Amino acid sequence: MVRFENVHMSYGEHAVLKGIDLHIEPGQLAVLIGPSGCGKTTTLQLINRLITPTEGKIFVNGRDISTVDPVELRRGIGYVIQEIGLFPHMTVKQNIEIVPKLLGWDEQKRSARSKELLKLVGMEERYLDVYPAKLSGGQQQRIGLLRALAVEPPIVLMDEPFGALDPITRESLQDEIMTLNKKLHKTVIFVTHDMDEALKIADVIILMKDGNIVQAATPKELLSHPANEFVESFIGKQRQAVGKLDTVREVMSARVVCAPDDTSVVEAVDLMRRQRVPSVFVLNKEGGFDGQISIKDIQSFSCTGDEMISRLANKQIPTVHPEGSASEAFKIMMQENIDELPVVDGDRVVGIVTRRSMVTSLAKVVWQGEAHE
Amino acid sequence: MNWPSVFSAVLTHLQITFFGVLLGCVIGLPMAVLLIQKPKLSHSVFAVIDLVQTVPTLAMLIFVMLLLGLNNRTVVVSIALFSLFPIIRNAYVGLNSVDRGTLRAAKGIGMTQLQVFTKVRIPIAAPMILAGIRLAVVSALSIATTGVFIGAGGLGMLVWRGIQTRNTAMMLSGAVPISMLALMLEYFIERIEKKLTYYK
Amino acid sequence: MSSFFAVAVKNQELILSSLSRHLLICALSLALGIIAAVPAGIFLTYRKKTAKAVLAVLGVINTIPSIVLLGVAMMIFGLGVYPAIAVLFLYSLLPIVRGTYTGILDIDPKYLKAARGMGMNRLQILRVVQLPLAMPAIVTGIRLSAIYVISWATLAAFIGGGGLGDVIWMGLQSYNFRLVIWGALPATLLAFLVSWLLNRVIRLTQKHISREVAQ
Repeated sequence: MVRFENVHMSYGEHAVLKGIDLHIEPGQLAVLIGPSGCGKTTTLQLINRLITPTEGKIFVNGRDISTVDPVELRRGIGYVIQEIGLFPHMTVKQNIEIVPKLLGWDEQKRSARSKELLKLVGMEERYLDVYPAKLSGGQQQRIGLLRALAVEPPIVLMDEPFGALDPITRESLQDEIMTLNKKLHKTVIFVTHDMDEALKIADVIILMKDGNIVQAATPKELLSHPANEFVESFIGKQRQAVGKLDTVREVMSARVVCAPDDTSVVEAVDLMRRQRVPSVFVLNKEGGFDGQISIKDIQSFSCTGDEMISRLANKQIPTVHPEGSASEAFKIMMQENIDELPVVDGDRVVGIVTRRSMVTSLAKVVWQGEAHE
Repeated sequence: MNWPSVFSAVLTHLQITFFGVLLGCVIGLPMAVLLIQKPKLSHSVFAVIDLVQTVPTLAMLIFVMLLLGLNNRTVVVSIALFSLFPIIRNAYVGLNSVDRGTLRAAKGIGMTQLQVFTKVRIPIAAPMILAGIRLAVVSALSIATTGVFIGAGGLGMLVWRGIQTRNTAMMLSGAVPISMLALMLEYFIERIEKKLTYYK
Repeated sequence: MSSFFAVAVKNQELILSSLSRHLLICALSLALGIIAAVPAGIFLTYRKKTAKAVLAVLGVINTIPSIVLLGVAMMIFGLGVYPAIAVLFLYSLLPIVRGTYTGILDIDPKYLKAARGMGMNRLQILRVVQLPLAMPAIVTGIRLSAIYVISWATLAAFIGGGGLGDVIWMGLQSYNFRLVIWGALPATLLAFLVSWLLNRVIRLTQKHISREVAQ
């Protein structure tokens, strides 16, 4: 899908890329990663000809891109950047539809497309006529992503797209990009400096240093067979935080779904379905933790749909502190036979321990252990 | 009071102002676009238009008069010269103030350079460009008034004759419309500027 | 060309006395403007609501063409140099008040926090922190006012205030365009000189600040 052949890039004396050979298969989610100045963003910008290589050839879809008109090339490649760059004077609808409009799609087709796209990231149609200034950072980046997907480009370039977002929003957007990659069979090329992000989402990780590719491998291979000491230390440095699993914080997931206590049962069910979670946390008027309500609870109660969730919420559920012991949390889950354990600091919900989050954290440590053998 | 003469003076005044600022725009706006493309030029261009701006109004009218004679055209050209500074500066700053990420995104999704200008840069810079035009219009009304001294028509004539003949009513018949025009035009252009920032 | 200078020689007394009168009118109105507007600008930073109203009123005054205000001043005070100075003074206020006001309000709050943390009182903060940091903005306002004043002072002659406008007016009435230039040119050069000088002062105050911040 995307192929680099001996690509060099230099600004005067300064060589940024020193002979890159690279092949990214259709449908792959490839992550370019490395310390700052390694050339990962340069590599990305070469693909849509925002910059031109000093030497070497780049092929997209089998075509040498130096022979393609840059404007035409870019319209066939989605582009998402850290600064988001939504056009402030255009509504969400106009932003999403800008490339279709440049390509001359008629209003009906455009409008159908933007509605379809909005559904893809679980946003309601009422957002269509909103200006970007009124959206949260996470919502803005979702729209940035939709704008890139509007004309169904087979390739999407993402330049540290979630770098400026808070951890919870970042996690959920990572999930969405993985789903989209699988569902829509897009080739995604993703730049990041965050190894956790790379390990989570990548089919293939391309680790770069000083303008060279050090190793290109699947996350599993990279962890089990690091090519050299640099790779090992780069993974290690980034992952020290998860190296030991003493506290709850290290085994929890920061992605929590909450709802205010005056939410109706119908809305809560809807929220769970959209976020693909089996339960939500209930928050009181001050935003403090006030119990949990799961889909099982709702099914087992006989209640009307417009009843408020505050009455049904399980307020007796055990909670743990983020700095509490991880093994203690594990014990509680086993003894009480529960799947989910809220992590509460003061009265704020800061995360959730699930069986899955525990296993994931454990697996990462085990893998890294192998790598050192 | 001679209403028809006041009315025709208002018209002349507005005409001189309009054509002066229009000429300023016709020269200034393309100049601002050029400076965006060639930022190295901007330093010297700004030095020159700043110097032009510093020339006392009456002196400027006189210098232009020596070239074009005692008539309305002289005033129109003087207004255009004084308009250059607010128009070019505001347009330049406005066009340059577009967020870099927005510009990168525009290029990245496949806009041509022309489209980046017409669909992104100009709409975002529009309120600032208009603010520059507003400043130019207000000073143009004042310059047009001063134009009476080099033989131009307009409301300045009524004010000046009023002063010369100690005729308060005549002076006010020029002064009041001028002040109203200045305040009204400033207010209306400002309203449009606000409308152009609807998305904030 | 020789006749161009001959005109100057012939009218040298008129030109020189008009120039000194022009300088006097400008200096006096600008000095009064600074004396009134800088303290007013400082005061307004403590009264933000009043500030809006005051700036709006001054804005309206500056929107009105100067010849109109001169005419009104003449009606009220009669002919002479004082009404001219009064009008020029009024014009000089807005840029200086606005420069002082926004200059002080634009200061990064971290400096004020630091100053308060060191136990400075309001007056000390003003003297040690706010005024030096706002100085480039204040001088920028003064420069703008100076350019206005020098420009409109040429019109003062028309209500009997004297100055280089007298030379221009006499030249215009006798169709002696060489004499007209001897009024317009000195006024222009004066404006260039003052603008250049004040630009130097602005740069000096900025350098002063960047050095302070660097330490």
